[in-house]
Amino acid sequence: MSQRTIAANIRRLTLTIAIAFLVTSVGVGYWSIVAASDLNADPFNPRLIAAVRDRPRGKIVDSSGRVLAESVRDGDAYRRKYSDRSLAQVLGYASFKYGASGVEGAYQESLIGQDPSDLLGQWKARYLGERTEPGSVVLGIDPKVQAAAVAALGGRRGAIVALDPKTGRILASVSLPNYDANALVDPAQQDAAWGQLNAASDKPLINRVAQGLYPPGSTMKIITAAAALESGFDPNQKIRVDDPYQADKSWGDYFVRSSSQAHGDFDMSLAFQRSENIYFAKVGLTIGAQKLGDMARKFGVGSAPALDLAVGKGQLSNGGTIDRPTLLADTSYGQGELLVSPLQMAMVAATVGNHGVQVQPHYVTEIRDSSGGVLRTVGGGAGDQIISAATAAKLTTYLVQAVEAPGAFAFGAKIAGVHVAGKTGTAENPAGSPHGWFVGFAPADDPQIAVAVIIENAGQGGVDAAPLGGAVMKAALGH
Amino acid sequence: MIRVRPVARLAELRLLIWVAALSLVGYVAVVAAASGRFAWYEIAVPVAVLAVFGLLHVFLVSIGFRGDQLLMPLAVGLTGIGFVLVERLAPTLLLQQLTWLVIAAGAFCVTILIPRDLSVLARFKYTWALVGVLLLVSPLLPFVGREINGARIWVGITGLAQFEPWELVKIALVIFFAAYLEEYREMLSTPPRRFGPIPVPPVPYLLPIVAMWLVAMLVMVFEKDLGATLLFFGIFLAMLYLATGEPFYVAIGLVLLVGGGFVAYHAFAHVAARVDVWLAPFNSDLRFDQAYQLTQGLFSLGNAGLFGAGLGAGMPERIPVVWSDFVFDAFTEEVGFIGALALLAFYLVFVYRGMLIALRAPTTFLQLLAAGLSFIVAFQTLVIVGGNAKLIPLTGITLPFVAYGGSSLVTNFMLCALLLRVSDITARVRR
Repeated sequence: MSQRTIAANIRRLTLTIAIAFLVTSVGVGYWSIVAASDLNADPFNPRLIAAVRDRPRGKIVDSSGRVLAESVRDGDAYRRKYSDRSLAQVLGYASFKYGASGVEGAYQESLIGQDPSDLLGQWKARYLGERTEPGSVVLGIDPKVQAAAVAALGGRRGAIVALDPKTGRILASVSLPNYDANALVDPAQQDAAWGQLNAASDKPLINRVAQGLYPPGSTMKIITAAAALESGFDPNQKIRVDDPYQADKSWGDYFVRSSSQAHGDFDMSLAFQRSENIYFAKVGLTIGAQKLGDMARKFGVGSAPALDLAVGKGQLSNGGTIDRPTLLADTSYGQGELLVSPLQMAMVAATVGNHGVQVQPHYVTEIRDSSGGVLRTVGGGAGDQIISAATAAKLTTYLVQAVEAPGAFAFGAKIAGVHVAGKTGTAENPAGSPHGWFVGFAPADDPQIAVAVIIENAGQGGVDAAPLGGAVMKAALGH
Repeated sequence: MIRVRPVARLAELRLLIWVAALSLVGYVAVVAAASGRFAWYEIAVPVAVLAVFGLLHVFLVSIGFRGDQLLMPLAVGLTGIGFVLVERLAPTLLLQQLTWLVIAAGAFCVTILIPRDLSVLARFKYTWALVGVLLLVSPLLPFVGREINGARIWVGITGLAQFEPWELVKIALVIFFAAYLEEYREMLSTPPRRFGPIPVPPVPYLLPIVAMWLVAMLVMVFEKDLGATLLFFGIFLAMLYLATGEPFYVAIGLVLLVGGGFVAYHAFAHVAARVDVWLAPFNSDLRFDQAYQLTQGLFSLGNAGLFGAGLGAGMPERIPVVWSDFVFDAFTEEVGFIGALALLAFYLVFVYRGMLIALRAPTTFLQLLAAGLSFIVAFQTLVIVGGNAKLIPLTGITLPFVAYGGSSLVTNFMLCALLLRVSDITARVRR
């Protein structure tokens, strides 16, 4: 009898083992079949880089055809050569040891002749070991605008991004500090360079344009105004401003401060010109947390833009919702717990300029084959109507006045003969003096370019940033 | 006594020819992929490997051995795959592995011959327990203990060979547990009191569980070896279940293991590191550092697809220590998911045969022994494959027969020999 129970136990144990083998097989199948394409495209997977170590990778060029990255012979292997340091984080690097980043990583397959649109080439590479000769990856970067952005930022820590509001094509992208990617692909220097870049406190490897996260400061008021206008708020209604402001005693020793120690009546237009915090705090309290939060989310605050390179998401608040009146007041004028990237704010400006339609931003415009024919184009989707055309038109009027009206804070962005729409921002932050923001677009009635500028720890905040935005837009418009 | 009258083992011979062909083709493919050609003399190593197995077959035939005919071909197939992978991943270790194979073959023959009546093993059970404990703590001793790759589980003499005593401990433990449980299972499985579904045996019978748990935790803390801890405790729980059929004991054991693991996670850096790597290997702080091995292993799996990159055409050499820790991922990368399933099927059939031998064995001791030994193979395979595929935290357990390593090869051939002996005894009793 006792042996029979042992036999039953053996059978049950064997069944358990068989089930465990089944589960394990499913796990192996997950990685080798289901997750395979993600793993193979992972920029840290050395396989794609190694696959073409003894062959050149494709070139990366800008919209004028200028070569930004190419493969040069180095002994019996090929090494990448990068020729525009101002695009360091955008181009990225293709290192045998540390993987790939930027366009080198995101468009890795295209750069080794296995573009996803080229199924025959992929099949040949996998099963016959024959690789299609790689073509090139074309960026939307306009060398003229890029040069203007580099010159405008000077050597200051910060970022400038410019894009076409109608197509989302990125025209210029500068993030400082940057680095020399050539050191990362040089076997003699790579380890030292990698260690140093990763240890650097000012994070040169980060693309501040898309991954840098900052409080938006007063540039947020565009979103607050959009929420107000869409919910039927009357922009001509005069609102009393007396510095400092608190809604009631429950705020304790907490006050909203005016940017200009104002005492007087403001309508929306004047509030934009003087960047009046108390006005927008009151507007936010009037329309409520729900409407403000919804509008911010519609504009992309707290979610990752569908960019073709790595992005930061930012946040509306630490908890994701605006859950108390003081936070609602602070969020309405751009402080609170908000975090956004320069790219997200450039898209806000672009959406207002593009009559309320938000398009997807993209660095790359085309993938070409080795003979120069277009394999596929990137970007160019229809876009989403975020706010009504009427709201966008009203906002544009206010943003033009914020640049052009007497005493307007963003006067530095003016361009002779063109109406410029724009907004400065001064982002208080715990680490040193405030960051200076400018977002805008031009020409106001039919915009060709939208920009966002951030200068980290700028002396005077937004007033410092506005002329930089002006200079970049001027270069794009050919003035 | 074994009568010396040769018995034909035709099924074994036929299967051996198939797995020999499999290893030869694999070996030629690997060499040809690496150098672009294949010279006739390069076949010497696989032929030598296969000659060793041929001799083992002749040995079994000549002593009139009547045991199972599937186990040997399965072990040979796995070992053959192991040699193909050593040639692929660490060709400089090939001759060393061949030397170990000869030793393993010797240990196999000795195991087949010496314990003519395996109940001898049961009679000296406390000797086996003592041997096991001594082997277990031997890496902690001064002069002979060695710490390699962060785990203090080796003994050796500098300049000469080193050995992982753990591998042998497994067998000693199974022998001890089988004998001990055979004697005390009645008391453990028919406790005097029950609280609802929960059996409550007298406290003295619970003590072994707690003692085993303590030893397992000590191994984790002092030898820094998660794999050995898991294996030690796994074998114990499995055999306790086999003897008593009481899932409640397994539940207590698992609770103790998880609890101990939780405390260890917070108390010991080497445990925490393993778990953190397992939870988020692609974390930017870890992937170039502690998680490098695992992420490279997963990239290997990702390159596998259904049919694999082809032997010699993948990049598994990017995985650090691939020849002992990550052979499964390396194999899968080059022969695909299909190949991985085939390899797992080899193990499952081996375990199934082993359990079948246990079912038919004439005594409780032999039943527990055979089932425990089969469980070792199953458990090791599941733990290391699970670790390679990020299903559980990675441990240093070896893939039986396939992974490079002398101690493991010798032990697995002894294990295989013991299973064969049980089936031989059964065949003679039922004659």
